[in-house]
Amino acid sequence: MKRPWKRWIPPRKALYLLGGLLCAGILALLGWVYYLDSVVLNEFKGRLWSVPAKVYAAPTDLYVGATETADDLDAELRRLHYRIGDPSSGAGVFRRHGGDFELNTRRVRFADELRAPVRVRVHANAEGITGIEAADGTELPLFRLDPLLIGSVFPVHGEDRIVLTPTDVPQLLIKSLKTIEDRRFDLHHGVDLRSILRAIWADLRAGRVVQGGSTLTQQLVKNYFLTDAQTFGRKLKEAIMAMRLEAHYTKEEILVAYLNEVYLGQDGERAVHGFGLGSEYYFGKPIDELEPADMALLVGLVKGPSYYDPLKHPDRARARRNLVLKELADAGIIDPANAARSQAQPLGLRGVGAGYVPAFLDLVRRHLKRDYAEADLAAAGLSIYTTLDPHAQAAAERAVTTQLKRLDTIAHNRSKGGPLEVAMIIAEPTSGQVLAVVGGRDTRALGFNRALDARRSIGSLVKPAVYLTALESGRYNAASILQDAPLEVKLSDGQVWAPQNYTHEVYGSVPLVRALSESMNLATVRLGLELGLPAVADTLQRLGLERRPELNPSMLLGTVEMTPLEVVQIYTALANGGFKARLRSVQSVVDEDGKPLKSFKLEVAPAASSAAVYEVARIMTQVTERGTGRAVGARLHITMPAKTGTSSDLRDSWFAGFTGSHVAVAWVGYDDNRPTGLTGATGALPVWLDAMAELHLKAWQPDTPTEVEDRWIEFSTGLATEPRCSADAVLVGVPRGTALAARQGCAQPASESVVDRVKSWLQKTLH
Amino acid sequence: MAAKDVALNPSAQRRLLLATLLLLGACSAPKPYQMPVPVQTPIPAIVPKEAAPPPSPAAPIEEAPKPQPKEAPEPPSRGYKLGPAAQSLVNQAHSQIGRGELPGASGTLDRALRIEPQNPLLWIELARLRLTEGDPQQAENCARRALLLGSADTTVRLTAGHLLADVMRAQHRDAEARDLEDQPWMN
Repeated sequence: MKRPWKRWIPPRKALYLLGGLLCAGILALLGWVYYLDSVVLNEFKGRLWSVPAKVYAAPTDLYVGATETADDLDAELRRLHYRIGDPSSGAGVFRRHGGDFELNTRRVRFADELRAPVRVRVHANAEGITGIEAADGTELPLFRLDPLLIGSVFPVHGEDRIVLTPTDVPQLLIKSLKTIEDRRFDLHHGVDLRSILRAIWADLRAGRVVQGGSTLTQQLVKNYFLTDAQTFGRKLKEAIMAMRLEAHYTKEEILVAYLNEVYLGQDGERAVHGFGLGSEYYFGKPIDELEPADMALLVGLVKGPSYYDPLKHPDRARARRNLVLKELADAGIIDPANAARSQAQPLGLRGVGAGYVPAFLDLVRRHLKRDYAEADLAAAGLSIYTTLDPHAQAAAERAVTTQLKRLDTIAHNRSKGGPLEVAMIIAEPTSGQVLAVVGGRDTRALGFNRALDARRSIGSLVKPAVYLTALESGRYNAASILQDAPLEVKLSDGQVWAPQNYTHEVYGSVPLVRALSESMNLATVRLGLELGLPAVADTLQRLGLERRPELNPSMLLGTVEMTPLEVVQIYTALANGGFKARLRSVQSVVDEDGKPLKSFKLEVAPAASSAAVYEVARIMTQVTERGTGRAVGARLHITMPAKTGTSSDLRDSWFAGFTGSHVAVAWVGYDDNRPTGLTGATGALPVWLDAMAELHLKAWQPDTPTEVEDRWIEFSTGLATEPRCSADAVLVGVPRGTALAARQGCAQPASESVVDRVKSWLQKTLH
Repeated sequence: MAAKDVALNPSAQRRLLLATLLLLGACSAPKPYQMPVPVQTPIPAIVPKEAAPPPSPAAPIEEAPKPQPKEAPEPPSRGYKLGPAAQSLVNQAHSQIGRGELPGASGTLDRALRIEPQNPLLWIELARLRLTEGDPQQAENCARRALLLGSADTTVRLTAGHLLADVMRAQHRDAEARDLEDQPWMN
């Protein structure tokens, strides 16, 4: 009997063909493996070695006389995530009795010093700091708190992460992670057949995929390429990549990469990757201060960061954490008593709203790009020390949140598009340090940064530049009479422009001081046309605007468009006696060894006549005393020059002003430019005022420049007077020796001192 | 607002303030750039100028003001000095400069300026540092800033003035430097 299968023996040719196909298949497979190998290794290398720069806020300097009250200090320590407890128990702990603080600081790297933990006592009251002593009782002139970590920047791809090195990670966290996610991590080669079989068994019993059986290495690979599809092809790819990774790198390297890479949740638009950031995000403390319960929560999150999100689903998160704690106890990683204690603890999440300042970080990124070499920034482990003042930032964020809630109920056109938006910047005028940036109503979201990118009509904020040009010309002073009368201007396109006052009234002859404080449009346009548009544009550029505004008569009423950042730059020069201080958000950058990259220097330059700047700022104090910004004077009770701004049809609401210590600008409007129904005084002013009211402001009180004398004049007539002669008297600066028409018997004496002579020389020799 | 109610000119206010302070014996150093050392006192540094008492019952409008001397007397010297915190930072900056750590010194002076932004002594320090760094333009700007802020104080005026002259010489502007040093207020 013939064996039937013999018929099926293929001819020699077919055998060759089969062999060829097999070889090709093997080659293709090898090629594919080789390809996957290079893909995963490239990704791994790129991630492993790119340690991002850590970004810090300006550390708070405590000294006797600092305006940090006891409650401010308390808030600051909490922001720094200091725990309340016995300071001898460890770093990052403080204790408060009334105004007496005892603290044990963390080991911390400043721009110029690596400081070991140190214990100090600080005494404060409701006015400020009253004493600082070291542990041995020595008085300290000055003590720096830890700089607040506000994020990290990859100069290349702009992601934000807190990267851990093997020594940063507590052993308990590593053991817990292995116990829960991959018990045989130290034994397998990237893929663990046993756990795969176990997973398949579990899946079969359940009739669906319930277990992945993935090793930490496989999870890491999956994280790199972020697809969640549970297909066989993807699983195979993942397995091959995991094995290739294991072939090239040590277990420790892979574990560290995992700890830095694993996805742990979502903070608005920011993905929370890695245990370092996870620890900051959920608990607000560095990873080495985590308690066993905190670690169990983070490890438990790996399985399903959104399902177990402790902020959204605290009950699920607690159950998951307690299950993890039980497994850890069963595995002998922690003792059962500890597990029981930890299970009873609350989740211990940090308060919402602390720390993350995307709009400010955005400015930092741009300033880094502007002022540092890209090659320098590519170095690993940089620390970037910024000028952020967390107290001012928090004040601005609170003001924005509170006031927008209120403005939402009164603004026009609310339902016709996106919500009312806002931007705010606070800076220190003398040095140009940016203290706070808010880029929109959601202060924690990345996205359109209006503080830096929203270029909008500035309305009457432009007027101080018009009046400064007039005062610098020498032909005008605060008492000069201007004509607030209707006019028509023929534009280059043949159209006729007929500006109007906001009140639609005409005021006739008014002194310059009143025209500016009450923001009169007709008087300003007449004045600006007389001075010439190029002269006004020059002034804006001298004060710090980095481009030439379009020379159009309507620019005199602020159709010129600027970002809040540009406005702050210009007002900084007004706040600073005519000295321009370049705005900066980066104080210094140091490398891994603490060596500074390149100091980002404070730069000042004379930009305008200090006499004329004094005169215009003196007039602007009337804005907050009796003009469009009087709500400010009524609440803050200090001398403060400021200006409201409202663009045509009430599309933009602005407020800008300064004290001796702060310059700030706020803007409110819609992104699509529809009218808001808000003026500068009803929209931006309350935001600005709420924020500034929380700061420790110093009054604006510069010395009167030499060529100027302070004189009392009548607000309504410009006649020289004395407060005893007229209830309408305002103090203005006018060029020394100016002959002012006076009310009878109310003249003022002139004087000249050595101070005057110095200043007049300074002015004369300015280049 | 307060400024409206004050009938004294600024130098008179200063004299009045000084007298008040001397009488009270509360402070021995002058007003704005001094650290508010006795923190217990509830008066913030800004108050004195604004809280100067209004003049005694307003004179009848017809009455002419008292004749005043044409040449105002020298305002009381400010006697600028640094608070202990800023001073300790200046000392630290000096030792950093001594070690050749110029960027570090720059950062330290930045910190000091954050504490006392308007103190001319710090601007003098900054001007010196810029000169050491080989940036005479910034050194000049800082020295001018110091002179503008501190012209009322003889020591500050002379120090800033001579520094500015040095900066000018460093830029080969000898004539300007001589002109500066010939100013009557420089002697």
